[in-house]
Amino acid sequence: MDALYLIKLGEIGLKEGNRAAFQAALKHDIKRRLSGIKTVLEVRDGRYYLVVDPTHAPLVEYVLSRTPGVNGWARAERADKDMSAFAAIGVALMKAKAQNGAKTFKVEARRSDKGFPLDSYGIARELGAVVLESVPSLRVDVHRPDAVLHIEVREKAYLYTDGEPGPRGLPVGSGGTGLLLLSGGIDSPVAGWRMLKRGLALEALYFNAYPYTSREAWDKVRDLATVLARHSGGMVFHTAPFTDVQLAIKTGAPSDRSTLYLRACMMMAADMLAKRRSLNSLVTGESLGQVASQTAENMRFTESYTDMAVLRPLAGTDKEDTVLEAKALGSFDISILPYEDCCVLFSPKHPVLKARFDEEKAAFDALNLRPLVQAAVDAVETVALPFSFPA
Amino acid sequence: MAQGIIRGVDGIYLDWAATAPPYPDLSRAAAELAVDLFGNPSSAHAAGRAAKTAFEEARKRLAKALGCAPGHVKFTSGGSEANAIVLLSLVYAASGGSVVISAIEHSAVYEQAMVLERFGIRVRVVKPGPAGIVRPGDVADAVDADTRLVSIMAVNNETGAIQPIGDIVSAVRDASKGFRKAPLVHSDAVQAFGKIGFKPAELCLDAASMSAHKLGGPRGSGCLYLARGLDVLVRGGGQEDGIRPGTHNLAGAWAFSQAAERACADLPASLENARSLEARLLDGLRSIPGARVLPDGRVPASTDYSPYIVGAAFPGLGGETLARVLDDQGIYVSTGAACSHAKKERRVMDAMGVDRDLSFSAVRISTGRDSTAADIDRFLEAAESAYRRYKT
Repeated sequence: MDALYLIKLGEIGLKEGNRAAFQAALKHDIKRRLSGIKTVLEVRDGRYYLVVDPTHAPLVEYVLSRTPGVNGWARAERADKDMSAFAAIGVALMKAKAQNGAKTFKVEARRSDKGFPLDSYGIARELGAVVLESVPSLRVDVHRPDAVLHIEVREKAYLYTDGEPGPRGLPVGSGGTGLLLLSGGIDSPVAGWRMLKRGLALEALYFNAYPYTSREAWDKVRDLATVLARHSGGMVFHTAPFTDVQLAIKTGAPSDRSTLYLRACMMMAADMLAKRRSLNSLVTGESLGQVASQTAENMRFTESYTDMAVLRPLAGTDKEDTVLEAKALGSFDISILPYEDCCVLFSPKHPVLKARFDEEKAAFDALNLRPLVQAAVDAVETVALPFSFPA
Repeated sequence: MAQGIIRGVDGIYLDWAATAPPYPDLSRAAAELAVDLFGNPSSAHAAGRAAKTAFEEARKRLAKALGCAPGHVKFTSGGSEANAIVLLSLVYAASGGSVVISAIEHSAVYEQAMVLERFGIRVRVVKPGPAGIVRPGDVADAVDADTRLVSIMAVNNETGAIQPIGDIVSAVRDASKGFRKAPLVHSDAVQAFGKIGFKPAELCLDAASMSAHKLGGPRGSGCLYLARGLDVLVRGGGQEDGIRPGTHNLAGAWAFSQAAERACADLPASLENARSLEARLLDGLRSIPGARVLPDGRVPASTDYSPYIVGAAFPGLGGETLARVLDDQGIYVSTGAACSHAKKERRVMDAMGVDRDLSFSAVRISTGRDSTAADIDRFLEAAESAYRRYKT
């Protein structure tokens, strides 16, 4: 017997003009994530019906819970279209709920097959009565039930209980593809996750300062990209060797400028790589005021080295909220591993806080770092991190 | 270089203080012995008796290398356990008392002593001088009537500084004259035994800890020299006179005794080789602009330092970074330093008063029986070029 999933679509249902495109994008994305297995995916009445072999249920449920654009999903039982079949399945589903502690329930029925002898109200009433009789510990509560038994009578009939939530948002790729500046910290993976949920597919770029940073530091960032890949369905991960750029800044710039100039070089490199890869935006984990150097003035300075959209989804997010999101995402425990991204040798004790734009640009440009940045971009190493199901 | 010995690892091994490559023939013979004489030495039957005979043979052999009575050698699982047996013996006393250790002890003593504090035992930590050497007078000053244990290492594992154990023992004995009970004096001799001459009985120590793998024996084998009784915390089947319960590790003890015998027999020649490598290394380091020997005042062939261990600093280049660059070129040294001023400490260097900029740029080069002048030259060459390229 097949496993059948009902998938509820989120925001994409609201966007009249784009609905078809978004639906197609989500369908494509789900199929892509499940490309290793045989699936039948149909869209009817703003819902997806996904049929897979039950042995793949853990994978499918893992994917559906992490695919942006999915508002929620439920594993449904298919029933013959008669009340005794509904009753048998409905009672079994509600018994399981009662065993898990549910005390109250209600039945929600929908009927699109107008040929069925009972209307939706009739179906709900009769099915509810059978459940009430067969599962004595359950009472009916139509306002705030612990469990809901859904039945949909279409060309076939489906029964299911409360579904699991999906991430909501928009299908990955519907907003094009951006380049995430990924570090080993807590913020940038969360920034990436937020943009994934807004439909932006991502590639990730890490700036490697080996040998000042360790192999473990690179492994850590790759592991963070792998976490994101579980939510995005795979990820292209770039590493730019940035040691020479850092050394040039260290040698040429006043030490209180080193963080600012390094960020400007990173922005410049990201711009070059994004254009080479035909990506549409840059994404950073910057949050206003989080560290002394993340000021609006400094952001203006660094983003003056790209003409692409720089998306900073955490700009207005409190660190504690970012931490909670990182924990939910599964990146937090990796981010707090002690391998540092950037050697303290390159971090000034007192970085410049508010770059004076024209003055700073002149000083930075005089260092002529562009050729070194270009060389780093030319030497980028790229690996494709596949979607991995942590079985 | 010892390419033939370091199988599976190509490169120049200069981390002998971490562990020495095992003698291959001893490893193989020990594995065979474990099969041939599998009996439990505590068993009364013939299989047990045969194992017991071999085990006691190993004890005699090791005692000879240590220059002590066989009854004073207690086999353990290694240096850390030998240290722990001594330190944890203090927890029984009703009134806590105190222990005296140095600030440069290995964590196996230092961290264990910190545990004693939780049992109400005061820990007095004696700082070394800037040369990394603890003054006997300072140790004696820290001893008072309630002191139950003094533990000072024989050779420091980061700097190679040889501690004046004989003088420390005398000073402690003098200081504790007239006390109701003299403190037990112990030394962690893991970096001394089989490398520089180390005879615990001659030094009048009550206890000392040794490890097999530092001198070509197997991991998981060590011994405690013990010339006094102890209240043992961990109890069991009464093996090793109750000092270290647990089924005897015959293969480990046998290989340890053999490795110790070889190391002691070869000691004069090894030491001479190590001294010539030390001189080459110290001179070479001082010819690299900016590089420093730690401590600064160390000169070749000084009797204050084990020639097998040299600390060096490359200010402006993190020790971890240098070790990584060397690793990429197949040169293996070690560092306890991290590229962060705030998060990690360097307890030994801090105690010596070494500036953090120096200590965080420190690496340890340690040689052994197979090290050659060519190894030192390759290290110096690679370190100099890495320093030039990556110094900030």
